[in-house]
Amino acid sequence: VDCSLYSPGQLNTFFSKKTFVRCVMVSTYTSLVLFFIPWAAMQDSVRGDGKDVADYQSFALSTQTSLMIVVSAQMFLDTFYWTAINQFFLWGSIAAYLAITFTFFSNGLFFVFTSSFPFIGTARNSLKQPNVWLTMFLTCLLCVLPTVAFRFLHINFLEKIRKFTRFQKYKAREEGQPAPAPYRPPPRRVSTRRSSYAFSHSQGYGDLVTSRKFLRLKRRPSLFGRNQSPLVENQPQHYRTITEEAEESQT
Amino acid sequence: MGKTKDKSGPLARRPDNSAFKQQRLPAWSPMLTANTVLPFFYLLAVICMLLGVWLLLLVQSTQEIKLDYTDLGNCNECFDLRRNVSNAVQTCSCRVEFSIDKSLKGDVFFYYGLKNFHQNLRRYMDSRDDGQTLGRIKKLKNPSSYCAPFDKDNDGVPIAPCGAIANSMFNDSFTLNYHLSSSRIVPVPLLRTGLTWYTDKNVKFRNPRADNLTLAEVFEGTRPPLYWQKPVYSLDPHDPNNNGFINEDLIVWMREAAFPNFKKLYGILNRADPIFEKGLPKGNYTIDISYNFPVQHFQGRKGVVLTTLTWFGGQNHFLPIAYLVTSSLILLTAVVLTVAWWKFGKDGKNMKE
Repeated sequence: VDCSLYSPGQLNTFFSKKTFVRCVMVSTYTSLVLFFIPWAAMQDSVRGDGKDVADYQSFALSTQTSLMIVVSAQMFLDTFYWTAINQFFLWGSIAAYLAITFTFFSNGLFFVFTSSFPFIGTARNSLKQPNVWLTMFLTCLLCVLPTVAFRFLHINFLEKIRKFTRFQKYKAREEGQPAPAPYRPPPRRVSTRRSSYAFSHSQGYGDLVTSRKFLRLKRRPSLFGRNQSPLVENQPQHYRTITEEAEESQT
Repeated sequence: MGKTKDKSGPLARRPDNSAFKQQRLPAWSPMLTANTVLPFFYLLAVICMLLGVWLLLLVQSTQEIKLDYTDLGNCNECFDLRRNVSNAVQTCSCRVEFSIDKSLKGDVFFYYGLKNFHQNLRRYMDSRDDGQTLGRIKKLKNPSSYCAPFDKDNDGVPIAPCGAIANSMFNDSFTLNYHLSSSRIVPVPLLRTGLTWYTDKNVKFRNPRADNLTLAEVFEGTRPPLYWQKPVYSLDPHDPNNNGFINEDLIVWMREAAFPNFKKLYGILNRADPIFEKGLPKGNYTIDISYNFPVQHFQGRKGVVLTTLTWFGGQNHFLPIAYLVTSSLILLTAVVLTVAWWKFGKDGKNMKE
């Protein structure tokens, strides 16, 4: 049984403050890289034939295309199963972006809606330049590789790293403590308290039952920790079969 | 005989037994294992380093000479003259000298540069009428309201070309001279066409249809922008392909720069002359400048740049150095990941349990 749908809730992975802060940091870093790398690369630069490449429209197009490529790369990393449909939509997004860009920057639309499409010729002229593509490649690398590295560490080694550090801590603690006291089971108390369920069915005991004297929470050590639930670890639950003859013999 | 499906019965609405509908499509599942990720990182580090080194060598092979002439030498007098707007009608010229130690081999490009001039200001960039510069007669006589207050003058005469961008066109002109010997000074021929993108010159900017009229007659009923000294139809009277809206200096200026410090192409060395066949020889040079553009009002500077180019562009060291830095960062990450894999991977052989 694949219960991976339950683990985000149990581990509080989506809406915690830690996730939010991490998300903000990653977004800030990506935004800064996406703007400042093209900015620095285009300062004072020209085409190979001397003509303009550091104009406003080329700069905007270069930044926009880098953003598209970075977002697509992020989606590629997040897609677990690459069926034909996924391939079609992911590669198709990039193709659609390029098609729309070239359409918006084409002669035809400029002639029809002159003031709305002033970027005419920019795609043809700046996407032909190798230094624009090299800038976009660098931006993409700087944005995507940290995610890949972090995910690689997380997926493959997180459990083992946690076990290792826990083991180290346990070892350090053990070496400094005296020998533990011998274990004695707690004395059994015969319980005369009956459950409030029985009382609640008779008249007159409503106040007693709803007072907080019954069913107080005892701090017993839990059998399964929060991180060790079989659901969390995606392992099948082991069920013990209880036969009916054994139950009857106990009561 | 067509197939008829049995549309009744309890299993009538069962989906087809196709791979698509039964969610059995063949899929590829990428796994971030050590076998794929580590070599990938090392390969990328090598690629980035090679790219960085190659681009650095390319950029180092270009030569660039920059000269800020805002108040250099006797341009200082023109600088003081231009401080006052009422002197705008007076011409002023000055001369700057410089020398080239190593000859500039190959094609040499002459740029004028401005500092602190924000052509990327939003309101400034909107202040143009692309329909008018496309040559539409209706727009010629009736410019768009985006050009205001540079669309009509006080008498209501429309301005062509309208807008703040055209109005602030750079109007200094340069003559480069080479001192061949102590007595002989030779002007350096510069090509003043071929400076613009093909789409700008042939699609975005067109003169209004002339039929049998001269260009001056076509522009009748309009007036040049307030800061211009010549009307648009006499920007280059000798070359009809460079006159009017398709004048290359105008087109180059109208392509707004992205940053406040920019340079725009003014001319390309004409290597037909035997003295300049291989480029610009070393020696002493002077530039005679007709100083018109005032830069005090925005605390700017102006200058000229002479540079050789490669297919990669001019002298911009950022990209090669960034590639080298990135390659070392990727290598560092790869090493860290390898250490992590060595310690914690390999089925935890190195962990004592």
